[in-house]
Amino acid sequence: MPDVCLYFQVHQPNRLLPYDFFRIGENATHEDDTLNASILDKVAQKCYLPANALFQKLIEENRGRFRMALSISGTLIEQMQRFRPDVLDSFKSLVASGGVELLAETYYHSLAFVHSNKEFDRQVDMHLQLIEDVFSVRPRVFRNTELIYNDAIAAKAETMGFDGIVAEGVECNLSGLSPNFLYRAPETARIKTLLRNSRLSDDLSFRFSDKNWSEHPLTAEKFAQWLAESEGDVINLFMDYENIGEHQWRDTGIFDFWQAMPEAMQEAGLQWVTPSEAVDLYRASQSYSSPSLTSWADAERDLSAWMGNVMQQEAIGKIHKLEHKILAVNDPELTHTWAKMQTSDHFYWMATKGGTDGSVHRYFTPYPSPYDAYIYFMNVLADLHIRLRRALQEKGINL
Amino acid sequence: MKRLRVLKLGWEFPPLINGGLGVACLGLAQALAKSVDLTVLVPIASPDADFENFALRGLNQLEIEEIATTEDRYRYHSFAQVRQIPIFLNPYEDGQAAAATEIPISSERVFSKTTRAQLDTFKLGELYGPDLATKVIEFSKIAAKLALSEDFDIIHAHDWMTFLAGVEVKKATGKPLVLHIHALQYDRSGADDYGWIYEIEKYGMEQADFILPVSRYTGEIIAHHYGIPTEKIRPVHNGAEPVASFATKKKFPEKLVLFLGRLTSQKGPEFFLETAARVIAAYPNVRFVVAGTGEKLRPLIESGAFRGLGSHFHFTGFLDKEKVHDLLSMTDVYCMPSVSEPFGLSALEAAQFGIPAVISKQSGVAEVLKGALLADYWDVELMAKHIHDLLTDPTLHATVAEQAKLDIAASTWDAAAAKVLAIYRELSP
Repeated sequence: MPDVCLYFQVHQPNRLLPYDFFRIGENATHEDDTLNASILDKVAQKCYLPANALFQKLIEENRGRFRMALSISGTLIEQMQRFRPDVLDSFKSLVASGGVELLAETYYHSLAFVHSNKEFDRQVDMHLQLIEDVFSVRPRVFRNTELIYNDAIAAKAETMGFDGIVAEGVECNLSGLSPNFLYRAPETARIKTLLRNSRLSDDLSFRFSDKNWSEHPLTAEKFAQWLAESEGDVINLFMDYENIGEHQWRDTGIFDFWQAMPEAMQEAGLQWVTPSEAVDLYRASQSYSSPSLTSWADAERDLSAWMGNVMQQEAIGKIHKLEHKILAVNDPELTHTWAKMQTSDHFYWMATKGGTDGSVHRYFTPYPSPYDAYIYFMNVLADLHIRLRRALQEKGINL
Repeated sequence: MKRLRVLKLGWEFPPLINGGLGVACLGLAQALAKSVDLTVLVPIASPDADFENFALRGLNQLEIEEIATTEDRYRYHSFAQVRQIPIFLNPYEDGQAAAATEIPISSERVFSKTTRAQLDTFKLGELYGPDLATKVIEFSKIAAKLALSEDFDIIHAHDWMTFLAGVEVKKATGKPLVLHIHALQYDRSGADDYGWIYEIEKYGMEQADFILPVSRYTGEIIAHHYGIPTEKIRPVHNGAEPVASFATKKKFPEKLVLFLGRLTSQKGPEFFLETAARVIAAYPNVRFVVAGTGEKLRPLIESGAFRGLGSHFHFTGFLDKEKVHDLLSMTDVYCMPSVSEPFGLSALEAAQFGIPAVISKQSGVAEVLKGALLADYWDVELMAKHIHDLLTDPTLHATVAEQAKLDIAASTWDAAAAKVLAIYRELSP
């Protein structure tokens, strides 16, 4: 019977103002603080606070048997420090319970790996530092933004000293293998890859609240039964934390489900492990090769959610193109402004996909359309250009 | 000489719609009213509209009783047997092509009659709804009945929506008909579009005594594309309302090149993008701004992104007048690459702000702005050269701007009204 490894992603982006042409060069504030604070309030009330309370209770009641992992982006931790220190305290208290492992990721929840090795290093270091400062722990397992992964990222994470890395178990890479084992990426010696079990994870994050689903309503007992009937060493259930209470509201029964899970698991004879425990416990005997970049987003499970159309490609390409000049100016505030614009959500909102994926993109966007998202982003970028050029002149840097 | 009485038939009229047609109609009406007694009949008039020197009447304000006395004196033959009108037009909104209009089967006698329900469609509907064809026909029937109880000397109709009405009023009253052409189906849809609207335009022009296009450019299209004898065609250039122009210092160091207008094929926004790409490649110290919205907005955004122009090529979306003036006050070069532009009032507005213009040869306003730099709309290389020259040569910039100021001084609605009045006098001495 496999063990069960639970990891939740916790992230909020800094949404930009509807930054029209007339603000370029004029309005140094790019972010919509009011909106960002109010969304944080809403998500905290619906998800973070009640979910933290629930899991803290479960950890305490089960005396260490129930364990899980969280990965909290740097942008969210900053937002909580600024707008809701009480929510950050609730995360601190949850982590202090001892039942929660924290993962490492890019501070800005960015696609830096795809564009710049140097910027990627910088952001991972920043995140490690922040996690150490806030929670006094050092993550051993790496989670790249939206589970973006390939062989090179696994190799990179190994050289950075991580013991494990999480990824989407993509069908075409698995070619018949089960995601419920740990794998070795080509060209790595030590690091182990944990693959998300997409079917069982999506049962909880998407289908759980779907009244047309044949298994609706899903009970903890039934789900534990499915887990117990699965093959392999460890089932990785990876999903967004906001699925609990925000994407799926309380009235779907999602809190009751998690409340009942530890007991149902115990009844079924299943055990919880955290990602680093799985890495210590299990061998990675087979190789999982992912030459191209995969992710956990959209049906394609590739980068098309953020780089699928020309607007996204231009926006993300242009922001990363500034790296050299930004670092040359070496103004912490300007660098931070620039890096926050790398947050994947900016590009996610520019997606023009239709169908189910399109409606997921639309659910999250703060803008009327992907075209508006692009226009505002590019206007902010133009403003950033102006500030950057001014800073270069002031410092007498000639590039 | 006795003061002439003119019945003007319009479709859009401020303050209800501030498109080019309505603005031009208002400008001309105000100037004309100084010398003639003017009644303007439109489908929908704003209840707040109150013009000092002429009467504005909307069918939305009409009661059925007002046409009761003339109801039996009028028979409408033209469309008695028509069942369906395939027109698809909405100039101000994207995408929604209306389905073909179905006209209920009815006898000729009943068809002539105006019912309360028909009149009511002008009370709630929009000007360019899916029932546009029905509105055009109803407008013409009601206009004829109203005209029978009014005294006037000249009928003056503006653009195709009112041409049927013009012809019907002429048939019912025997008064001479003048058609004013602000835009043609040729401009909106190209030379290959021979649909219902084209037919109405052609029919109206054939029945009219004089045709007043807003430029010689449009006059030539009327002669060649619609086969109208040139002696009936009398171009009258639009005027421009004087604007209190001002200059604003830009918040960014780059120069600004502006495109202002609806984003439709007619206005040639793609050519603006192509031109911009060439200018930016040679002279990056510039921002191109597209102000307006329309069906081409999204494809244009995508083309700009594909070419990687995004940080130099900006979209403002729809702007109100105040914002347009803000933008003009910081613009260095105005560009109007229209594929077919009967006039192009916005170029005159830009000229009032002292902005030199680069205009397509297929634009009527080029006949007025004598100093503007011209290129065929498709000749993006030449268009780019002109813009580049204006951006980099201050002397040329000043010369073109100065000439524009002189040209604009001559472009008044009073001058336009004087020409129109002379044409009226030929018909009704």
